[in-house]
Amino acid sequence: MSTKFILTLLLLVFPRVAPADTQWILEESTLTYHVSHPLKQTEGVSHAAKGKGVCHDGQCDFLIAVPVKSFDSGDSNRDLHMLQVVRGGQFPLITVRTHLPETASGLSTIPADLEVQFAGQTVQYKQIAFQRAMQGGDTMITGTIPLTLSDFKIDPPTLLALPVKNEIPVRVEMKWRAM
Amino acid sequence: MKRQTAAGVGAVCTFILLVSFAASARAQNSDATLSGLIAGATGAPVPNAKVAVKNLATGQSSAAQTDSTGHYAVPNLEAGSYEVAVSAEGYSTNTVNVTIASGANQTANVTLAGVLSLQDLGISPEQAQGTTADQARLNKRSHMLMLHQRLGLIAAVPLIATVATSFGAGGRSTSTSDRYLHLALGSATGDLYFMSAYFAIRAPRIPGTQSRGQIRVHKALAWIHGPGMVLTPILGAIAFDQKSKGEKVHGIASAHGAVAIVTAAAYGAAIVSVSFKF
Repeated sequence: MSTKFILTLLLLVFPRVAPADTQWILEESTLTYHVSHPLKQTEGVSHAAKGKGVCHDGQCDFLIAVPVKSFDSGDSNRDLHMLQVVRGGQFPLITVRTHLPETASGLSTIPADLEVQFAGQTVQYKQIAFQRAMQGGDTMITGTIPLTLSDFKIDPPTLLALPVKNEIPVRVEMKWRAM
Repeated sequence: MKRQTAAGVGAVCTFILLVSFAASARAQNSDATLSGLIAGATGAPVPNAKVAVKNLATGQSSAAQTDSTGHYAVPNLEAGSYEVAVSAEGYSTNTVNVTIASGANQTANVTLAGVLSLQDLGISPEQAQGTTADQARLNKRSHMLMLHQRLGLIAAVPLIATVATSFGAGGRSTSTSDRYLHLALGSATGDLYFMSAYFAIRAPRIPGTQSRGQIRVHKALAWIHGPGMVLTPILGAIAFDQKSKGEKVHGIASAHGAVAIVTAAAYGAAIVSVSFKF
């Protein structure tokens, strides 16, 4: 077998094995924030997140956006107050960006550096662990983003003169599909 | 003397040799060039991309910028391992590692993936951008509802006192002072109540939102205590007049107590409805 033949074969085969661009689409999501107060615990849930990922040359970029007003705590009055406190009128979206190597899609625990834009502030969260599980043809991603009010320069709201805790962890459950 | 001169010449020669050797070694290690093409995902060249080249052993960095054809070149590099970070506006940063041999002209072509935008998610710029007017409306709403809440809680104090003094003011009691005290407390309650109601009614509505949860109970109860707060003092005034004339409270005025109790109960329930999570 001549060298020329081998080279020709490699050139023909290589484009087929080279990683092609992959897109990820966020199919379903549940984002839940948890607010702690000495007198009560509150959770707000949103299913309105939109997300997309694009992989090229082994690197993937992901963007997820969710409207602040889509979070439902079961009481519209409280939700509107939350919207006001987090400056949701002026900054109506929460966006999360992350950049991952494509090989991360094979890990059971994905450590991700997140860039979160919320309430007019951009904050980096390093090495946030997300669990990955396969469900049919979809990839389920779960994890918790440890947001705090002070990170985003939000004054903690008070109830009966007692402020809520600074920590507002956001539980993330997402179903992604590769296209 | 001769020996000293020979030693001096030897030292100078050694020095010159060392300097030459060092210069030669330096020239050998710093003559590599890294160059390449920076392109987008479609293959189109990316002009004005920033290329940062960092020697992983020494930490020394060099930088370059791509020209109009997307090409860059970083000269005078020593042999070693390098991290090449490429960034450009509208693209995500891509980092690759390259090993450069001494004196080599190394090529590193880098492809940049486009940063996803909100438009890629189907979110228009209008949806992504709020306004200070929207935020001002939310701020005004929260401020007015806070005043509503405070005045409402303060109004509960004279309300309880009014109910408590009603036993001395009505029934078989003929005490004028008890009736006046009851009247004064009732008037204070009414004033605070209507001030509180004003802030709730005048608080700006937020378009696109619907009432959910316990606030619906709170609002529904206002249809009981609101008319009750209007009716109670009217009936009370008639009862007061009848009592002042030495008459027994009769007619429509005899409903004053019942209406007041229902109003106070609805008012108390309205406060409870937003104070505790059921």
